[in-house]
Amino acid sequence: MDKSGVRKNPDGKCIIVFKPSGKIVEAEQGTLLLDAAKRAGVEVQTPCGGFGRCGRCKVQIEMGEVARRQGPHLTQAEIERGVALACMTVVKGDVIVYVEPKEVTRLAPPQETTAEKIALPIACEWQRNPRIRKYFLNIEPPTLADATNDFDRLRRELKRQAGVDNVFASLQVLKNLPTVLRQDEWNVTAVLESDNTDNGNGSQPSRLINVQSGDKTKTSWGVAVDIGTTTVVAYLVDLLTSKVVDIASAYNGQINAGDDIISRIIYSQRGDGQSQLQAMIVKTINDLLIELGGRNRVKLPEINEMVVAGNTTMTHLFLGINPKYIREEPYVPLTTHPPIVRASELGIRINPEGGIYAFPSVGSYVGGDIVAGVLSSGTFQSGKLTLFIDVGTNGEIVLGNADWLITCACSAGPAFEGAGVRNGMRAVPGAIEEIWVNTETYEPTYRVMGNLPPQGICGSGLLSSLAELFVSGVIDKGGRINRALKTPRVRVGEHGAEYVIAWASETQHEQDIVLTEADINNLVRAKAAIYAGFSVLVNSVGVTLADVEQILIAGGFGRHINIEKAIQIGLLPDMPWDRFKYLGNTSALGAYTTLVCQDMRLLANEIAAKMTYLELSADNSFMNEYTSALFLPHTDTTAFPTVQSLLDSTRERLALSGTSVET
Amino acid sequence: MALSGLEIYKLLPKTNCKECGQPTCLAFAMKLASKAAELSACPYVSDESKAALESAGAPPIRLVVIGAGNKKIEIGNETVCFRHEKTFFHQPGIVVRVKDTQSPEAIAALVQKVSDYSVERVGIQITLDGIAVENASGNAQTFAKAVELVKSKTSLPLVLLSQDAATMEAGLGAAGDSKPLIYAATSENWEDMAALAKKFNAPLAVHSNQGLSGLATLADQISKAGVVDLVLDPETPSANNSLALMTQVRRLALKKNFRPLGFPMITFPSRFASSPEEETIVAAQNIAKYSGVIVLDNFDPTLVYPLLTLRQNVYTDPQKPIQVKPDIYTFGDPGPNSPLLITTNFSLTYFTVAGEIEASGISTWLLIADSEGMSVLTAWAAGKFDAEKIAKAVKTSNIVDKIGHRKLVLPGFVAGMSGEVEEELPGWKIAVGPREAVDISAYLKGIWTPN
Amino acid sequence: MPVTVETPIEKWNGKVREVTLGATQAEGGTRTSTVTVGGSATLPFLHFEGSVPHRPVIAIQIQDVDPQDWSPALRAAWGDTTKDVVAWAKKAAELGPDLIALNLRSAHPDAGNRGADEVAQTVKSVLGAVGLPLIVYGPGVAEKDNDVLVRVAEVTAGERLAIGLCEQGNYRTIVAACLANGHIAIARAPIDVNIQKQINILINDMGLPLDRILMDPTTGALGYGLEYSYSVLERLRLSSLQGDGMTQMPTICTVGEEAWRAKESKVSEGVPEAWGNYAERGVIWETITATTQLQAGADIVVLRHPKAVGLIRKTIDLMMAQ
Repeated sequence: MDKSGVRKNPDGKCIIVFKPSGKIVEAEQGTLLLDAAKRAGVEVQTPCGGFGRCGRCKVQIEMGEVARRQGPHLTQAEIERGVALACMTVVKGDVIVYVEPKEVTRLAPPQETTAEKIALPIACEWQRNPRIRKYFLNIEPPTLADATNDFDRLRRELKRQAGVDNVFASLQVLKNLPTVLRQDEWNVTAVLESDNTDNGNGSQPSRLINVQSGDKTKTSWGVAVDIGTTTVVAYLVDLLTSKVVDIASAYNGQINAGDDIISRIIYSQRGDGQSQLQAMIVKTINDLLIELGGRNRVKLPEINEMVVAGNTTMTHLFLGINPKYIREEPYVPLTTHPPIVRASELGIRINPEGGIYAFPSVGSYVGGDIVAGVLSSGTFQSGKLTLFIDVGTNGEIVLGNADWLITCACSAGPAFEGAGVRNGMRAVPGAIEEIWVNTETYEPTYRVMGNLPPQGICGSGLLSSLAELFVSGVIDKGGRINRALKTPRVRVGEHGAEYVIAWASETQHEQDIVLTEADINNLVRAKAAIYAGFSVLVNSVGVTLADVEQILIAGGFGRHINIEKAIQIGLLPDMPWDRFKYLGNTSALGAYTTLVCQDMRLLANEIAAKMTYLELSADNSFMNEYTSALFLPHTDTTAFPTVQSLLDSTRERLALSGTSVET
Repeated sequence: MALSGLEIYKLLPKTNCKECGQPTCLAFAMKLASKAAELSACPYVSDESKAALESAGAPPIRLVVIGAGNKKIEIGNETVCFRHEKTFFHQPGIVVRVKDTQSPEAIAALVQKVSDYSVERVGIQITLDGIAVENASGNAQTFAKAVELVKSKTSLPLVLLSQDAATMEAGLGAAGDSKPLIYAATSENWEDMAALAKKFNAPLAVHSNQGLSGLATLADQISKAGVVDLVLDPETPSANNSLALMTQVRRLALKKNFRPLGFPMITFPSRFASSPEEETIVAAQNIAKYSGVIVLDNFDPTLVYPLLTLRQNVYTDPQKPIQVKPDIYTFGDPGPNSPLLITTNFSLTYFTVAGEIEASGISTWLLIADSEGMSVLTAWAAGKFDAEKIAKAVKTSNIVDKIGHRKLVLPGFVAGMSGEVEEELPGWKIAVGPREAVDISAYLKGIWTPN
Repeated sequence: MPVTVETPIEKWNGKVREVTLGATQAEGGTRTSTVTVGGSATLPFLHFEGSVPHRPVIAIQIQDVDPQDWSPALRAAWGDTTKDVVAWAKKAAELGPDLIALNLRSAHPDAGNRGADEVAQTVKSVLGAVGLPLIVYGPGVAEKDNDVLVRVAEVTAGERLAIGLCEQGNYRTIVAACLANGHIAIARAPIDVNIQKQINILINDMGLPLDRILMDPTTGALGYGLEYSYSVLERLRLSSLQGDGMTQMPTICTVGEEAWRAKESKVSEGVPEAWGNYAERGVIWETITATTQLQAGADIVVLRHPKAVGLIRKTIDLMMAQ
C-alpha cells in the first residue's frame, strides 16, 4: 500500500477503473491514460490527436497515482483537484478515473439577442449628468389673460417645473409644437439635449429636440455605433438605466467599394463615389437600427442620440467630408473634432433632431475608434506600460501609460473579421469559432457558435485554423499547404490548394467549408502587419516587447480570442498569457461609454490630444519588420520559444509514434 | 551615447503645448532622437535638461572640412559602423596625388583632367574631390611652386604632403587661405605642424605607424595644443591590418566615445598595391570601410568611374533609396511591336524588373513613372502611382512615336486600376502583367501580344 | 601623457558554419580535393577579433552552351573554348580557382531545351575532366530545374555538389534531391535578410542539415543595387555572429553574372567617355563588385573573367596574410 491508499500490483500491472461506466482494464505502469481508455472502450475527446495541444481530454483522477507532463491547459487549481489531460498522463499504479461521458459544450446563447448590462470600463456617474433629459410637463393652456406664445409657455414651464433655463429649438421642432401641445390636453414630454460637461464654457443652452404628447419619460433610447471598415456594430442603449439592450452587427455596405480605406478613398474620388459611399454606410446603420428597433419594439424616432466611433476615413465618409487628403502626403484630415450633427442632416432614421456625436481622432490613420478604444480600455489611466492592439482592418495599436501614448495604424486587411476569406463570416451563430486538427490523421474538430451546422468561419475560427494547420504540419512555416499529405482534406481546388474544414454534408449551405492557400496568405499578411506594427511602435520609443506589462486586445474576432493560438501564428508576442486581456469591440464600448456618460467626451478629447501618432509609411524599419513577420510564427524563431518547443515536441512524438514527418 | 525618444521625453516639459511645431512632447522627443528637430524649438525646456541633451548629442566623430571654396571635402560626423544601421553621411573625398618632381606641364595636365572629370550617374554628377601635392623634391621652393601651379589650375581642395614643417609652411603660403589638409603631423614634428594648422586655420592630418596607442597619444597632444580639426592616418604595413585599425578607430569613437580617435581617417591605397588595378581594389575597400580621404596615385577614368560609382552606392541612404530617372528604358532592340511595360521609379523595383526583362531576352520598352522613389504597392497606397500619374508618364514620354500598338502592361499588384487607366488613356488597351517580377519573362514570352 | 588604447573586440556568440564542397574518393565522390568555406568567428578579415579559418574562395562560372549573349569583352577572354563545355572546364581549372560553377543553360527552353538525361551526362563529363568540386545551376525555370537537377543529383550521388537555386517558390524538389544524394543546396532569396532566413528554415525543416546549405542572398552589381546586397551580406554575417543558427550558412555570390550584365560591361559604343576603356571596364566592374561583396561577408564569389579571377585571388591573399 502506498500513501495514496491504492494497491500497487507486484507484477507492475495497474488496474484502471473508468467511471461512470465502470469499465476496467489492466495496464503496464507508465501506460498513457488515453491508451488505457481506448482499450477499455471509453471515449475520450482528442481533437488535436493527443498532443496536449487542445486541452479537451480533461479527466478527473479520483484515486491513485499518475504522472503528468506540464502543459498550459491545466491551472494549478485543476491539478490540485486531480484534473489531468488523458493524453499527457501516465499511470503509476491503480487508478480510478472519471471521464465525462460525452463532451459537454454548453454554449451561451449568442450575444446578439441577449440583453445584458455592459459594465462601464471606467468609473462614471452617468446619472449625475445625462445629456438627454425628458420632462413631463402639465401646462396651463393659454387664455386671453395669459396669451404667452406656445414656445415661451413651454419654456416657462420648463423653468418653473424642471428648473431648466435657456432653451432653444429648431424650426422643425417648433412647427409641431402647437399640435402636440393640444393633443393630450397640454400634457407633454419635452426632450432636451444639454451639454453639461465641465468644459469651462459655463452653462450651455439646452436644445429642445422633441416634444411629444403625454408622458413619455418612462423610456429613453440611444445608440452607440462602431463604424468599422469591414464590420459595423450598433448597441441599442436604454439611457435611463445605461443598459445595453441589444446588439446588432453587419458588414459595412461600403465593402463592395473596396476592402481597405485606401480603396474607399480612391472610390470616393470617382464621379459621385463619395456620396455613394455615404449612402452605403447610412443604409447599413439604418438597417441595423431597424433590426434593433424591430426586435425590441422601439420606434426609431424614440432614439434621441447616437454616438459613432470609426477611423478617420469612415468618419469622414459618414459625415460626407471628402477624404481625399487623408491619403496624400502629408496625410491631413479635415478635422479631428467633427461637430455634432443632427440625424436629419445625414438621413439617419432616429429622431431627426437627435444629435450625432463622432469621436475625435488623432490623425488621418488613427481615428475616433482607437480613441474610443483607449478610453474604454483604461490604458490612459494605467501606470503599467500597456500595449493596446485593435485587430481590425485598419489595425490600430497604442503603446503607453498614464503619462504618454503613442499610436500607429497598420493596414492589416479584413481577414480577421472573416472578410476577404473564401468561407469567412462575421462572428454570428453558424460561424465556426474554434478548430482543432488531429496531428496524426489531419482530421479537424470544430465548434460552431449557437450549436448550429456551420456556415462559415469567423475571426477566432480563422485564427485557430491557421494555428492548428500550422502546428499539425498541414501548412509549412511559409504558409504553404503540404500537397503531399495523404488525407482527402488536402486537395487542389480551382483556387489552388485548400484544406477542407467541413464537408458539404455537415454544413448549412451544403457546400464544403475550406481554407485555401490564398486565405492563409491573407491571414498571414494580416497578422504580419499587426506584429510589425507593434514591433516598430515599441522600438520607436526605445523600449522592447519584454518591457510591456500588459497587452489589451480588441477586435471583432468573436466572443474570445485564443491567446495560445494567436501566439502560435505569431500574431501576438510569445509572452506569459496572464499579460493578455481580450476586451472585445472596444470601439463600440467607447462609443457606448460616451453615450451614457457625457463627461467622457472631455476625456476623449484629452486622450486624442495626448496621443502621438507614428506614421509607419515614414518609418524605415516597418518593411523589414513586416517581411520578418511574414512567416509562421516569425522569421526570428527565438522570439517564440514556446512555439518552437511545441513544434519540436510534436515532431518528436510523431517520430516516436512512427508517423513519418512529411517533407 | 544617443538617447532614445522616451529618454529625451522624460527631460522635456510634457505639456504638449505644440509650440515646437510638433503635436506632442513625445513626438518632439522622437524627432530629436532622430536628429530631425532642434532642441531650441522648445521654449520651455529647463537648463538642466538642455545641458543633458546637448552633451548626449555631441558627434562622436568630428566633422572636418577641407578646402574653403565652393568645393569642400566634408568628412566625419558618422554615427554607425554599418550603413544599414542608419546611413553613412559624408562620403570620402577621393583625391589624386601629384609630385613636385613632375614637370609643370605634366602637373597642369593631370590637374586639369582631374578637375574636369565629371560623369552623370542616376541623375547625379559624380566628380573627383581634390588634388594632393607631395613634396617629393625635398625642396621648399619647388613645393611652393607646385602648390601655386595646382592652385592656379583648380578650385578643388588640396592636400599638402610633406613631413618638414618649413617646407609645409612654404606650401601653405602658396595655398593662401584655401584651408588645405596638412599632411602630416608625426611624433617628431607635431608641435610645428600644429602651429601651422593654427596659423593657416587648416585641418591637420596625424600620422603614426606605432599602432593606435601611438596615434591616440599624438592626436591627444595636438588637440590639447588647440588644433581640433584632425584627420588620422594609422599606417601599418599590411592591408588587412589597415582594415583592422580603421575598424578599431571607428568602433572606439562610436561605441566607447573615445575622443582622442574621434576623427575621420585618410588612406593611401597605393601602399598595398603593385598595379593601378590593385590600387583601385584597395581604394574600393577604403570606401566601404571608413576612409575619409583617399589619395590615389593613378588617374584613369576606367578605374576612377567604378570607384565613384561605388562611393555613390555605399553612401546612399538606405532609408531613402535611390530613384531612377522617370524615362523610357530599352532592353534589347525594341521596335514598334515590342511590349511596353510600366513600373515605378524606386531603384530596386527598377533593377528587379530590368533584370527580369533582360533575362527574358525579349526586346522591351520599360516606362518608368515618377513615384517619388516608392515601390509599386507603397506608391499605389500613397497615390503616387495612380491612373493620372500613369497617364501622365505615358503622355510625356513620347512613347507613341516609337510604338505601333497602344497597349500598356501594368504591374499585377495594381490590376484593379486598369479601368481607370483606360479612362485616362483613351484608345489604349491596358493589360495586367504579373505581380512578381520573376514572372515577367514567362509573361513576355507566353502571354503578351501587341493586340 | 601617453594614451593607451584598448583594442575594441566584440564578443560574438556565434560563427559562420563550415560547409565542405566536393567529396574525394574516400568520401564517396571522385573529386581530387575538397573545399571548406565558412567558419569565421568575426567580420570579414578582422583577424584581430576572431578566427577566420578558411579563405573566401573563387568559383569560375562556365556553361554548357556557347554563351553568345555574353559581353564581347568577356567572350574575347575565353576564345573558342566556350563552345565545348569540357574544354572550357579544363581551361577554367588551369586558372587555379577553388571551384567550377556549371550553368546548365542548355536545358532552358530558349537554349536548346535539352532533357535531364543528356544534361546529367554533361555534368558527368565535366566531373570527369576536372578534379575540383562543382557547383551546378539549373536553367532557372522552375519546371526544368526540378526535372534536370533531380537527375543530376542522382547520377552524381555522393559528389557533394552545390546545387541551385532553391527559392521560396520552388525548393522542395531540389532539396529532396540534395537530401537523398548527399549534395548541398543553394538557398536563394531576393536581397532580403528575412526571406533568406525563411528559405533557410524551410529547407532545414525538410531535414537537410545546416552544413549542407549555402545562402545566395542575390548579388547586386556595382551601380545596380550593389549597396543592397552589400548590406544584406553584412546583416547576415552580423546575425550569424550574434548566434542566429538560421543565418549561419556561408554565402555565395554570383558576381560575374551580375557584373557582366551591367551596361558598363556590355556596351562599347555610345557611352560617356568618362567611363574609360571598354576592354578593361568589365573586368574592373566585376572585380570591384567582388571586392565589396567579400568585404561584406561573401564566402564564395562566382566569377567569369580570367583577369578578375587573378585580381580577386590576389586581394584575398592580401586580406588573409597574417
